[in-house]
Amino acid sequence: MSKLVIVTGASRGLGLAICRQLLQAGYSVLGLARTPSDELTQLQQQGLLFRAADLSKLDNIPALCSELTKQYGRPYALINNAAVGYDGVLATMHNSEINSLLNLNIQAPILLSKYLLRPMLLNQSGRIVNISSIIARTGFNGLSVYAASKAALEGFSKSLAREVGKAGITVNCVAPGYMQTEMTHSLQGDKLESIKRRSPLGRLATPDDTAGAVVYLLSEQAAAITGTTITVDAGSTA
Amino acid sequence: MELEHTIRQTLDQVAIIANCQLIDNINDDTVLLQSGLDSLGFAMLVAQLEEDLGIDPFSQMQIAVYPRTFAEFVGVYRQTLANGN
Repeated sequence: MSKLVIVTGASRGLGLAICRQLLQAGYSVLGLARTPSDELTQLQQQGLLFRAADLSKLDNIPALCSELTKQYGRPYALINNAAVGYDGVLATMHNSEINSLLNLNIQAPILLSKYLLRPMLLNQSGRIVNISSIIARTGFNGLSVYAASKAALEGFSKSLAREVGKAGITVNCVAPGYMQTEMTHSLQGDKLESIKRRSPLGRLATPDDTAGAVVYLLSEQAAAITGTTITVDAGSTA
Repeated sequence: MELEHTIRQTLDQVAIIANCQLIDNINDDTVLLQSGLDSLGFAMLVAQLEEDLGIDPFSQMQIAVYPRTFAEFVGVYRQTLANGN
């Protein structure tokens, strides 16, 4: 039986690319998203399992995890990819947006890790990959709250890696640079060209470049890698 | 008594998986932290009991509860089951 991987934010962008590559690599993949996209529906025809879930409803997460484990069995891996990236200066960002960003970008992955880690503990084997961003360690005007959430995720991952390493579970982050996805569609024109120009490879990383790092971290070859961050940014932060 | 038996069996089972050596004669007054099971082992105990009993009292409670002794641990599960989850 193939290993089960749960991917959040599976309907678009990076989440979709991760699901596609994991299916190609022979994993059983369960995608979570609020609603399925057309692309995700196509992947369902290739075997992708889908469960509609609104992860911003934090109180529902324990029951969701319990149901998923009962229905699909103990997961091998969790990919915390779902996130929002509101663009705006802090001084005028509405408090409700700060709250909802922190709920989805930090609290939801922590709770998902807490509850899906348990079956991994019983298996004495597992993988957690948290999708961070180069913004966790570099500054970007208008993304301070998003940056805080990603830096928090990296700190969380390092300590959790220490906590669960003894049980054969690895916890890592993948930090993409700017990718052309719906999430970054507001980044256009000069800003985008400037990022491309400054990149040693002269281009942006793609969702597929980043998904490749996730697939690697789930492989046997990555069994000794834990508590670290793999940056996939076409060299932008070099 | 059946619940306590289940918990004792599960305790033995996870101690083996977690590679922990339990002390002899765990009784009601045994302090959990001195039982030989480490903190990750307790997480496994809660996880296994959730699979077997279908409840996680510690998530279902409105406030954080940390049982100190084995009897208190069993009591938390007994109370949750009595409350109909």
